[in-house]
Amino acid sequence: MNQTISQTKPKSLLYLDGVSVSFDGFKALNSLSFVIEPGELRAIIGPNGAGKTTMMDIITGKTRPDEGQVFFKGDIDLTQRDEAEIANLGIGRKFQKPTVFESHTIWDNLELALNRRRGVFPTLFYRLTADDRARIEEILSTVRLSARRDDLAANLSHGQKQWLEIGMLLAQEPELLLVDEPVAGMTDAETAETAVLLKEIARTRSVVVVEHDMGFIRELGVKVTCLAEGSVLAEGSIDFVSSDAKVIENYLGR
Amino acid sequence: MYRILQTLLITLCLLVSVHVTGLRAADDLAALVATLGTAKLSELDDRIDALARSGDARVIPVLEALGEGNLYTRKADGSVFLTTEKGASLVLLDPLSGAEIGEAAKGDIQKIKVNNSVRRAVRSALSGLTLFSTDTSARLKAAQSMRQTPNADALEAIETALAAEKDATVRKTLDEARAVTLLISDRSDDDKRAAIKTLAESGGREALGVLTSALSSADASLKPDIEAALQQIEQAQVFWNAGQNVWYGLSLGSVLLLAAIGLAITFGVMGIINMAHGEMVMLGAYTTFIVQDVIRTSYPVLFDWSLAIALPLAFLVTGIIGLAIERSVIRFLYGRPLETLLATWGISLILQQSVRSIFGPTNREVGNPSWMAGAFELGGLTITWNRMWIIVFALAVFAALLFLLKRTSMGLKMRAVTQNRRMASSMGIRTPLVDALTFALGSGIAGMAGVALSQIDNVSPNLGQGYIIDSFMVVVFGGVGNLWGTLVGAFSLGILNKFLEPYAGAVLGKILVLVLIILFIQKKPRGLFALKGRAVEA
Amino acid sequence: MITSFLFKNLDRGIIVVVAILLGLAVAIPALNLLTAPDHPFHVPTYLVSLFGKYLTYALLALALDLVWGFCGILSLGHAAFFALGGYAMGMYLMRQIGARGSYGNPLLPDFMVFLNWKELPWFWQGFDMFWFAALMVVLVPGLLAFVFGWFAFRSRVNGVYLSIITQAMTYALLLAFFRNDMGFGGNNGLTDFKDILGFNIQAQTTRAALFAASAVTLASCLVLTTAIVRSKYGKVLVAVRDAESRTRFLGYRVEHIKLFAFTVSAMMAGIAGALYVPQVGIINPGEFEPGNSIEVVIWTAVGGRGTLIGPIVGAILVNGGKSIFTAAFPEFWLFALGGLFVFVTLFLPKGVVGTVSAYLARRKAQGRAADADKLVAEPMAAE
Repeated sequence: MNQTISQTKPKSLLYLDGVSVSFDGFKALNSLSFVIEPGELRAIIGPNGAGKTTMMDIITGKTRPDEGQVFFKGDIDLTQRDEAEIANLGIGRKFQKPTVFESHTIWDNLELALNRRRGVFPTLFYRLTADDRARIEEILSTVRLSARRDDLAANLSHGQKQWLEIGMLLAQEPELLLVDEPVAGMTDAETAETAVLLKEIARTRSVVVVEHDMGFIRELGVKVTCLAEGSVLAEGSIDFVSSDAKVIENYLGR
Repeated sequence: MYRILQTLLITLCLLVSVHVTGLRAADDLAALVATLGTAKLSELDDRIDALARSGDARVIPVLEALGEGNLYTRKADGSVFLTTEKGASLVLLDPLSGAEIGEAAKGDIQKIKVNNSVRRAVRSALSGLTLFSTDTSARLKAAQSMRQTPNADALEAIETALAAEKDATVRKTLDEARAVTLLISDRSDDDKRAAIKTLAESGGREALGVLTSALSSADASLKPDIEAALQQIEQAQVFWNAGQNVWYGLSLGSVLLLAAIGLAITFGVMGIINMAHGEMVMLGAYTTFIVQDVIRTSYPVLFDWSLAIALPLAFLVTGIIGLAIERSVIRFLYGRPLETLLATWGISLILQQSVRSIFGPTNREVGNPSWMAGAFELGGLTITWNRMWIIVFALAVFAALLFLLKRTSMGLKMRAVTQNRRMASSMGIRTPLVDALTFALGSGIAGMAGVALSQIDNVSPNLGQGYIIDSFMVVVFGGVGNLWGTLVGAFSLGILNKFLEPYAGAVLGKILVLVLIILFIQKKPRGLFALKGRAVEA
Repeated sequence: MITSFLFKNLDRGIIVVVAILLGLAVAIPALNLLTAPDHPFHVPTYLVSLFGKYLTYALLALALDLVWGFCGILSLGHAAFFALGGYAMGMYLMRQIGARGSYGNPLLPDFMVFLNWKELPWFWQGFDMFWFAALMVVLVPGLLAFVFGWFAFRSRVNGVYLSIITQAMTYALLLAFFRNDMGFGGNNGLTDFKDILGFNIQAQTTRAALFAASAVTLASCLVLTTAIVRSKYGKVLVAVRDAESRTRFLGYRVEHIKLFAFTVSAMMAGIAGALYVPQVGIINPGEFEPGNSIEVVIWTAVGGRGTLIGPIVGAILVNGGKSIFTAAFPEFWLFALGGLFVFVTLFLPKGVVGTVSAYLARRKAQGRAADADKLVAEPMAAE
């Protein structure tokens, strides 16, 4: 197993090997290893406390692992970098609870997310160019918020906030997108549309989706990884995983 | 030969004096006193010595009178009297009992003549005499004075007294006095070495002084011993100084603990900073003032109980005020900790000004009950009772609070809210009630802290201001959500402060501590004992 | 680039306030100098200095608003930056006294002669030159804020923790400046100033000029602050205030963003202090009192945090009130101030300016609602 992973390391986009982390004696991740290929759309399922969010925290630099390796694009060691650096390397993250800048307009939210130089002075003297304008317009129509561009983000519905956040991630132009429960609290119609949106996004970049909604995952129709107690329980197609005895026992229930 | 005789004589004298003090004191003493009248000037020294050895306190007025030239003898029979004037004649008093014996014309009696040498003998005898007093504290005092101003002539008296002494404290002091005296006497070098050893073991500034002065005059053969002893004492002093600093640090730490612990609870449970916390301390101190005022005017006998009465009252008063503040202001500001900080600051201004308007801006007098006053010695440490009791009290409050948090249902609820407010709320805990009671509890503890602080600090409207920043530092340093953090934080900051003070001065020491804390939270932004895990992020 | 940076985002409100400030910079000195003392519009000199003092307070509040209102950093240390700027100016003014002090020492200020010092400490060197002192007015508070902020923001000290730590910093400075051997005049501070730039500091014309300088500086800083908060950087500031970790995951170095605002704000506070000292004639360690810093917060809150005009209005309102109040009922001022803290946090969280502008915006929105049908029918014009 280990050998195959080290062989795939140079090509893989994201590479986790033997990652462990514990909080006050509780092992949130227990020697977790898995690999994401460039352009891949991957779904991650697992019961509460399986370590899904902690895994995202590790990848995005919010939490440092106690041991193990995390590499991006083969040789960039993510454990040595902080959130901002990792974001600038091209890893975007959507939180479980939609977090947008509520006292900014939708337009400003996207402008802030746009992948431009983010230092103090570049932002201080930033001027909106025609290119940037066009890019924001494009994303606005992708996430279907063109008509509300001048509204404050605080006034959006829950589903719209989720979409705005996805739009912000698009503006960030990441190579790898981590999406935590994107359809929580959405209507069925919104869920279906979100699946389409994510598949569209995955055409140009890698996406990792953490979700509980099995219907949504079936709709995505991609490789699934099931986590439990901080390590990988099973990996494969949705049908393969959902028929795995351990997965049924740990997560799906009978 | 002469020496042997002398030794014999001394031994004899010792035996006699022991007998004298022990058994048939009165008769022999009277006889001794009577010999003063007939003695020649050159014999007086010996007689005085003999009297002194009697160790009887009644000899003291006789010797005093002799020294001042007020002891008389009747020309007719050579008997000895004290006198008081009565017209042309003198009233004669028995020198030992002070009873009137009769009268005499001035011409019939004469003063016993003394010279400087006799006076000196009297003085040294007098200081030696109290060594044999039946009053332990008088003996201690005498021994201390002999240790302070050693007199080689008194050496034998000291040794006599030492042999008879039963009280351990007095013995120790006498032993030291003997050593000090011996060093300036003409005893053998071996004796002196032993004395140096005694002094080295007793330590202290006085021994240091004695040995230093002895160093210049001592034999070359003794010098290394003295130097070694000096070094030993200095080392011991470093040790005791460190001990004293620890003690001061503990004392400061207990004060900080008292002031900070209520703050830590409200901050931990409710996530808010109560800037009026210092004013709660101040109100507690003023409650003590009022209680003592009432007691002084109406029930003076209860004064020693004033603190016991003030404690629950202060807890109630400040607890109720805290509850009122929570219900009227703070509960509208949950989730907005910075606004809470501002509002409570406003409240603190109002409380300060109210107290200033009612009680005036100056310090009010709060007294120490008798059991809070004074000090005692522990090894090389001086420990004042009020500091001691405040440490005990702070630890007691800490223990009580720990018990409340760990063993009662209220405590369980408070801990639940500290760790996860939303979850606690959905488990059916009435978080607003917990908040209100927590705030009242925190304020009440501040009030009790005020009672304690009234014993060591000026009670003025600004009392609380002096503690608020330090208490915050304790909370920040110790970490939120864990009482042990507050305990460790308070005592380590207290001790650190007191250890820095001798090197940097009080003000610079404090600045250094503040800077150190600012640097410390670089490493641990949530304090020493922070909660960990995902719950913290919310 | 700079001009467009400074002026492209000015809106009508800001322009009006800047115009008023510039108008005052001319009008008040004119009314003071050109009218006779019995003229109905005459402004007495003491009022000129008093108004000048208010304007420096307004600048301090504006500086605080940049970090608190827009970035959510509740600094309880701004009075310290103000005082440091004031001390830098005070040191220049002390050096200007020269041999006219009570001890007549041409080099050493009186308090050093009194302490029996023989030579000028190294940190007093250069303060005889105005340009150097002026540089220090911004550099010293700026450097302190930079170092302090670098440590604090890097380790993600936030919220009330940060407030408490800034308060501790102020307190440490207070203790330090009270010490005689610090070399800043100890308890008494620096006072008995004679000249500024060769002009008698007591003279009516100098006072009028200082007022005008305060007004112009405040107006310039208002323009600068507006430019900062309306730039993309300003939007990032607000983003940090509202959702710090989101901003971080977007790739912004939050600590740099905060550090810049904090440092600029401290520099502005230092300038305010430097203008304050010659107008009140003294600077002493009392300016470091932690209470002073919190008072600045309430000026900002009263006017409206997160608005640019608010802190200016708030500082002038509260201090004007204080002047009137302390003259009429001195013992009640603290009650009033304390009550103001509670009232504003409970009932006026947006402050005066914020509440008024929210009200105006609502009225405008209602007016627009009438045309709503038309808007929906037409596609929205691009920005």
